[in-house]
Amino acid sequence: MISIRRLLRFALLALGLAACPGLAGAAELRVSVTNSAGEPVPNAVVSLPGELTADFIPAEPLEMAQVDVQFDPFVLVVPRGAEVLFPNRDRVRHHVYSFARGNQFELELYGREQERSVAFSAAGAVPLGCNIHDQMIAFIRVVDTPFAVRTDGDGVAVLTGVPTGMTTLTVWHPYGNAENNLVTLDFDPAVDPAPQVTLDILGQH
Amino acid sequence: MSFNSIMIAGLTSIAFTVSAHAAQPPHAMPGELEVDPYEVSNANAGAEPITDPAVLAAFNGEAGIARIVDGLIAGIQADERIEGVFRASDWPRLRRTLIEQFCYILGGPCDYTGRSMASVHVDHGVTTAEFNALVENLQDAMDAEGVPFAMQNRFLARLAPMHGDVVTR
Repeated sequence: MISIRRLLRFALLALGLAACPGLAGAAELRVSVTNSAGEPVPNAVVSLPGELTADFIPAEPLEMAQVDVQFDPFVLVVPRGAEVLFPNRDRVRHHVYSFARGNQFELELYGREQERSVAFSAAGAVPLGCNIHDQMIAFIRVVDTPFAVRTDGDGVAVLTGVPTGMTTLTVWHPYGNAENNLVTLDFDPAVDPAPQVTLDILGQH
Repeated sequence: MSFNSIMIAGLTSIAFTVSAHAAQPPHAMPGELEVDPYEVSNANAGAEPITDPAVLAAFNGEAGIARIVDGLIAGIQADERIEGVFRASDWPRLRRTLIEQFCYILGGPCDYTGRSMASVHVDHGVTTAEFNALVENLQDAMDAEGVPFAMQNRFLARLAPMHGDVVTR
């Protein structure tokens, strides 16, 4: 026989859950990515499966700029099918290209301007280079989900409005020392809203 | 003394005074972008001066040199082969330093206060074809100024060895 006290406690818990929008059906997830030495890993792309709709608005402008003879940013998250602007904000010309399967492109040598853009139709990693500046390197991560964010300088990425229930978290880094440069974690965001993931990184950036 | 000379003298003396205390960029005139400090030297011009005064006279002196540089810049901006190389240039600085460089090399009463040819052209990825396109525009400007062909070539002979520092692709 269930005691009144337990019944009351259960009712209060249910009310409490309903009052917290973060836990009832949609959650905010705070993912920390570190390497095996415990150091934070910036520029990792953290993602959960989800449905990309046509009206999805990315968190930051879809731009891969060239400035000071380098790309900016180093890693850019792009929803599949979206167009990315490649503004040359530099004092010199650049010739941008990628050999990525399904996303191959070339922007032949151009000076300072804001007009060039490329659409990315395949999910996956797109390594970028410049034909005349060997030191220029960056990556576009094309994703099939609205739930994808790059980790900041502290190795932290916040995903909002994620559905609760068992799911698979993917953590990818261009130099991730794992198969396909990524690791996965099966978990429930409602149970663990702040998962910590370890991914070793080869080399420095 | 002209206003410009007073300004240059003033700025130069200021530059010498503060250089011991702060990284004051030298020779960035008003209206020009800041530059990282560098050692100023006529050696940066990339060529020894012509000593025969007949050449400077054939170029119509400093006034002729200024007109040639203006013609060269106009030509570059309209030349789709190379306008992209120069598109983000600091144009006031480029005009000033080109005039100084040409004047110095032609034996005029100028010092070159710009940077070396190598340091200025690094990362631009200039090809031989682009270098030649610039020379064509310079020849057009010298033609417009009425500089005789033989005199043009004496000047070009001083510029040609810069190819090694300018062309990197």
